[in-house]
Amino acid sequence: MPVSRFRRFVLAAALACGMLGAPVVAQDDVPVIAAASDLQFAVTEIAAAFTAETGMDLRLSFGSTGNFARQIRAGAPFEIFMAADEHFIADLHAEGLTKDSGDLYGMGRIVVMVPHGSALIPDEGLDNLAALLAAGGITRFAIANPDHAPYGMRAREALITRGIWDDLQPFMVLGENVSQAAQFALSGNAEGGMIAYALALAPEVAARGRFALIPAEWHDPLRQRMVLLHNAGPVAEAFYEYLQTPAARAIMTRYGFDLPEGE
Amino acid sequence: MDWTALWLSLRLAGWTVVILLPVAIVMGRFLAYRRFRGKGLVEAFVMLPLVLPPTVFGFYLLVAFGRNSPLGDLWQGLFGQQLVFSFQGLVVASVIFNLPFAIQPAQRGFEAVAVELREAASCCGMSPLRSLWQVELPLAWPGVLTAMVLSFAHTLGEFGIVLMVGGSIPGETRTIAISIYDSVQGFDDRGAAIMSAVLVAFSLFAIAVTFWLSARVGRRLS
Amino acid sequence: MLEVMARADGPIPLDVAFRVAPGQVLALVGPSGSGKTTILRVIAGLWHPSVARVAVGDEIWLDSAKAVKYPTYRRRVGMVFQNYALFPHMSAAQNVMAAMDRADPGEARRILDLVNLQGLADRKPAQLSGGQQQRVAVARALARRPQVLLLDEPFSAVDRATREKLYGEIIALRAHLAMPVVLVTHDMNEAQMLADQIVLIDKGRVLRQGSTAEVMSDPVALRAMGIRELATLLPATIVAHEDDGLTRLMTAGGPLFLPLVAADPGSAVRVRIMAHEVILSRARPEGLSAQNILPGVVVRIVAGQGPAVMVHIAIGGDEIVARITRRAADQMALAPGDPVHAILKTMSVARDHIAR
Repeated sequence: MPVSRFRRFVLAAALACGMLGAPVVAQDDVPVIAAASDLQFAVTEIAAAFTAETGMDLRLSFGSTGNFARQIRAGAPFEIFMAADEHFIADLHAEGLTKDSGDLYGMGRIVVMVPHGSALIPDEGLDNLAALLAAGGITRFAIANPDHAPYGMRAREALITRGIWDDLQPFMVLGENVSQAAQFALSGNAEGGMIAYALALAPEVAARGRFALIPAEWHDPLRQRMVLLHNAGPVAEAFYEYLQTPAARAIMTRYGFDLPEGE
Repeated sequence: MDWTALWLSLRLAGWTVVILLPVAIVMGRFLAYRRFRGKGLVEAFVMLPLVLPPTVFGFYLLVAFGRNSPLGDLWQGLFGQQLVFSFQGLVVASVIFNLPFAIQPAQRGFEAVAVELREAASCCGMSPLRSLWQVELPLAWPGVLTAMVLSFAHTLGEFGIVLMVGGSIPGETRTIAISIYDSVQGFDDRGAAIMSAVLVAFSLFAIAVTFWLSARVGRRLS
Repeated sequence: MLEVMARADGPIPLDVAFRVAPGQVLALVGPSGSGKTTILRVIAGLWHPSVARVAVGDEIWLDSAKAVKYPTYRRRVGMVFQNYALFPHMSAAQNVMAAMDRADPGEARRILDLVNLQGLADRKPAQLSGGQQQRVAVARALARRPQVLLLDEPFSAVDRATREKLYGEIIALRAHLAMPVVLVTHDMNEAQMLADQIVLIDKGRVLRQGSTAEVMSDPVALRAMGIRELATLLPATIVAHEDDGLTRLMTAGGPLFLPLVAADPGSAVRVRIMAHEVILSRARPEGLSAQNILPGVVVRIVAGQGPAVMVHIAIGGDEIVARITRRAADQMALAPGDPVHAILKTMSVARDHIAR
């Protein structure tokens, strides 16, 4: 490459770099909400309603409750945390990372869900699952990771209660969070899985298969709690209040999140 | 199509390349020209991010500059925000894990410059800096450019480390690769498909450019 | 004045010391691996032996005793590499300008004209022949305005015909060179044609150094280089080109006939006469095919270790050497002061053994 052409190339490259702009994103005033994966559809809807009504923007991040708790401890800049299990909130509160002890926003339920065409038939007693398992007809069954996802923990408890946890172990596929578990369960590569009721009720998910509610007595309750984190700003506080309005509660109910009596 | 995520990925890759360009030239040249005891060790160290599992790497990065680490506290003191879960943290991680992609091809590029030419440049009265600008870079540039293209493309696709060090904060650390992941989890197959196609196009382009550049270096060597 | 001293134990053993005056050419001659290129690199600053001193005029470029070490780019040295090392991405003119303190296209063209490369200034090295590339390399070295010119086997990569042409050009160029020149070569003919001083090197050691005439007639030194290289240079003037393809020249001892010489009548040349090609006769022989019969006087006879002796013969004011068997010398009873005829076949003088 002749010398002068080389120099022109370098100048062009330098100009391109100039367009990169500062590495700082001017979005500090748009709060980030960390919400458990089962709230994927419910909170998206509520947030959209909030923005439509108030004109204020929100940024949503969905993932496993345990993962978020770890990230918050490591300094992640979330302003609201909506967990699938209130124990995580309590721990963070004890460490002084939250504004207060938070509020219960609903009781979660789990379901067994199967994709269309699966050999597995969903029934609330899991009888078909037990039978199919005994007959060797199960190749894969998906749940969220019990180590850090509340829905995974409850799925395990339910399966232990039903007495098929050990037998099902070799066929278990673990999702990072309950959304991924749902993804695995309905991908066609598994006979089915145990996922969040809230996800199964979403139109996008419901269309992919059939489900049955697992009896609530088979596992510890999923007391889902939300809290404002210590760095929450005015927009976050506004949204936190909005979540407790009848409009938001109606959406929550539609996704199966009932509040227990008296709370 | 998550345009914010795409723009974030492009900016992350861009900043990585801007920072790594001088590193690639200095280190690539140094390793190409010098022979010293322990050179093999340095080269192996540079290669490390290539063979280390991304999660191991991400873990060590978190330990090194997460909250309550000396580096993390230093950053917090200087800039008032955490290094992890921020765009700047991604840039730092990206620069480190792209070192092999930046240094190795640049080193090959400089190795292709015959020793005699550098000696001739000295005999012409060129200082090392002038020699670099007038003789070495015009001949080694395919290697350097390959290094930048590979680093850029690799950053666009990096997932595990970005997720561990940055989380998935929209507009801050949610790169397009993570956005694809989130879309799949969120049952948005269409969104995932579109973004994946965009990434594939970028990667193919990067490969094509790299091949063309290696051919140029090959011709020069022969 | 260039002063060089270098000593090293390894990896390449060296033990040399010499001086070259401005305008003088010193040839470092030796077989491959003898260390001659290394010495050139020491002068240029591309290698530093443990004990060395390189001084040019008042400047001391290297002195291991005083820890003085100028980097190469601060030494005004013009180096012509064996493979030319032209910058492939630059044109001939740009290559030349690369060596200038301030790039001057006009000056670059002037220097390229000087080495007979008119019109080729904008060609890249890949578009030039070997001989042309060599000249660009020389031009670039000269553009540096060097205090020392170093040539590393500059003619080894060109074919014989081009080499002859280049010898002529270098000799013509000498008039423009006011600096010491060090030439590395393994070709004795080249050394004898181009150099004023010769340093014979083998395995880093100096076998013999001195003026060209001294060294080239020293059988002890030449034994190491190949005794068949022994030769002398006889000055002659071209008189005329004959019709039958010969050129008639005049020497101090009479006429000399050689195959057609590419020079004009009136030009002064030097003819390299190989000692083993000279036949001696007391009486002027008749009926011989050889055209060249030069009368002279025996100056001295030097015996070697083998069956041959060197007979130094004065031809007018010049001297040539003949190498004959001791048996012949005894049979002829040659002694210093005897008149004798030196007989030389016209066809035994190679074309590249004639130079200005």
